[in-house]
Amino acid sequence: MSLPLYYYLTITTIQVLVSWAIYLPYRMGQLHFTVVANMAVSAYVAAVAASAWGVPLWLLVIVAPLIGGLVGFLCSLFIGDAECFTVVMVGLTLIYLIRTVVESTPLFGGSLGIFNVPGLFGEPAYNRVVILILAICSIVIVGHFLHRFDQSSLGRAASTILADRRLAQSMGIDIKRIGMVLQTLSSAIGGFAGVLHLLVTQGVSPAHFSFQVIGSSMTILFLGGYSTPWGTLLVAPALLGAILVLPEGTESWRMVIYGSLLIITLMVRPEGLLTRHHFVRVLPHIGFTGRRSGRIR
Amino acid sequence: MTEILLAQLINGVALGSIYALLVTCFNLLFRFARIIHFSFPVVLVCSIYVIWGVVGISGTPIYLALLAGFLAAVVLNVATTPLFLLVQRRVGGDINTTLIISMGLGMILTEFLSHRVNRGFPISLQGLEQWRRIAIPLPSRIAVLSLVDALSLGVSILMVVGLFFFLHNTQTGRAFRAVAENPEKARLLGISVTGISLLGQLIAGVVGGVTAVLLALQLGAASPSMGDQLGHKVLAVAIIAGIGNLRGGMLTGLILGVVEAVVQGYWSSSWSNAIVFTCMLLALLLRTRRRR
Repeated sequence: MSLPLYYYLTITTIQVLVSWAIYLPYRMGQLHFTVVANMAVSAYVAAVAASAWGVPLWLLVIVAPLIGGLVGFLCSLFIGDAECFTVVMVGLTLIYLIRTVVESTPLFGGSLGIFNVPGLFGEPAYNRVVILILAICSIVIVGHFLHRFDQSSLGRAASTILADRRLAQSMGIDIKRIGMVLQTLSSAIGGFAGVLHLLVTQGVSPAHFSFQVIGSSMTILFLGGYSTPWGTLLVAPALLGAILVLPEGTESWRMVIYGSLLIITLMVRPEGLLTRHHFVRVLPHIGFTGRRSGRIR
Repeated sequence: MTEILLAQLINGVALGSIYALLVTCFNLLFRFARIIHFSFPVVLVCSIYVIWGVVGISGTPIYLALLAGFLAAVVLNVATTPLFLLVQRRVGGDINTTLIISMGLGMILTEFLSHRVNRGFPISLQGLEQWRRIAIPLPSRIAVLSLVDALSLGVSILMVVGLFFFLHNTQTGRAFRAVAENPEKARLLGISVTGISLLGQLIAGVVGGVTAVLLALQLGAASPSMGDQLGHKVLAVAIIAGIGNLRGGMLTGLILGVVEAVVQGYWSSSWSNAIVFTCMLLALLLRTRRRR
């Protein structure tokens, strides 16, 4: 496999994972940017542990989601049922805090970051294949989880909270508990995305976890449609691929394009390209006619 | 030791007064136009770039450059109003969507500044240096008050007093408060909610324009990412004070400025930022928990 194709596929996978991590708490109306902070935390912990202390990376791949989940859980104790803008602010503050600490600490490589982190295995070609398989497996697992979540009572409860918070409360839905579960899971996905990013780039720097990651993830999520995870799966490869195909120099205007797309989407089609309604209509045509697909609301 | 503390306190009050004005603009937009304009400070940073551009034209008097910056803030703010109104109408008044629109707007403006202006490097307002050097010695001579600090504080107090006078002693001000309390009932009373929303944007633009000029005078420099950082601090202050709370927002903005300046006086810049962010994070988390 060519190197550009490898990077395209793995970076797209990471982007999908981050967008899905934001999607999960947004099902109940919370924009959880702590995901990006968790990416940074897990990537830096893994980078330091692998390059300074010699901890095997396969072990860190397992530990990273746990670290992300733990940070997310601790935050969710306070903001589990908070308003959208409060959750946004906690996420952004955490990102700024982590960036400032990392930039001022020599252990984390300062503003340059940590580079030449050892790979999963010695042979680079073999390494790339394993990382790609790992990335694709993660998409399948998280995608399957989100599909099940959407059909579950937890998913329906989250949708009710998004539609009407007071109604959800009067129906006996525990908003805080659901918020805590979704934020913790979202942070765990973020943690995994962070360590995957480290594996792909074999380095980590504060610039990797900036406002741009949030911007691109939000564009992908809202353009794809925030009521189902599948729009993200369609839009992320298309958007990242389009930037590569378009004339040279377009890349530097990426965020302007993303920002414009985000605004146009919200003005023209706030629900995004693919809605839950579309999805339910499409399912029978691709062979999903069984008991489970019938339960999709 | 006392001199450093006093000097930093003066700086902090001046910086805090600008934060207070920024939070006031944010709260005005939230209460009267139902917009969470996270990127409002990005618009103001664009105005500072306009000042820089006009100062760069040789022979232009400095007051003309400041006026251009002020007008740019008003025009940019009013020009983006239809965007918010359209989206609000489309999504049935969901306020969180305005936050996302504002973030999109911020992405576009920040990237434009990063690529098109001064090759993305921070700008320095050379023409304002002489203004920034003017100092007023305090009676006991233990510290010096700069003209810019005095101007920031004085103008901020005037703006705040004027705003509160307008809101509490004029008929339009009462209409503003009615819309803030209950837009539906205000509409039944014959108040044009859209008109108030537009006027709210205009007032926020005017206050923002003055704030942009004060920021330019106070900092004498700007960078593309400055808007995001300011936006983050302003929204955090607004949440800690209680979003939409005009008085609380001003006070908390002032406190943030003082804390930031005092911490910067004793720690290196990067670690002082870390301390400020930690304080903000703790305040946000505890405030959210206590509100329940």
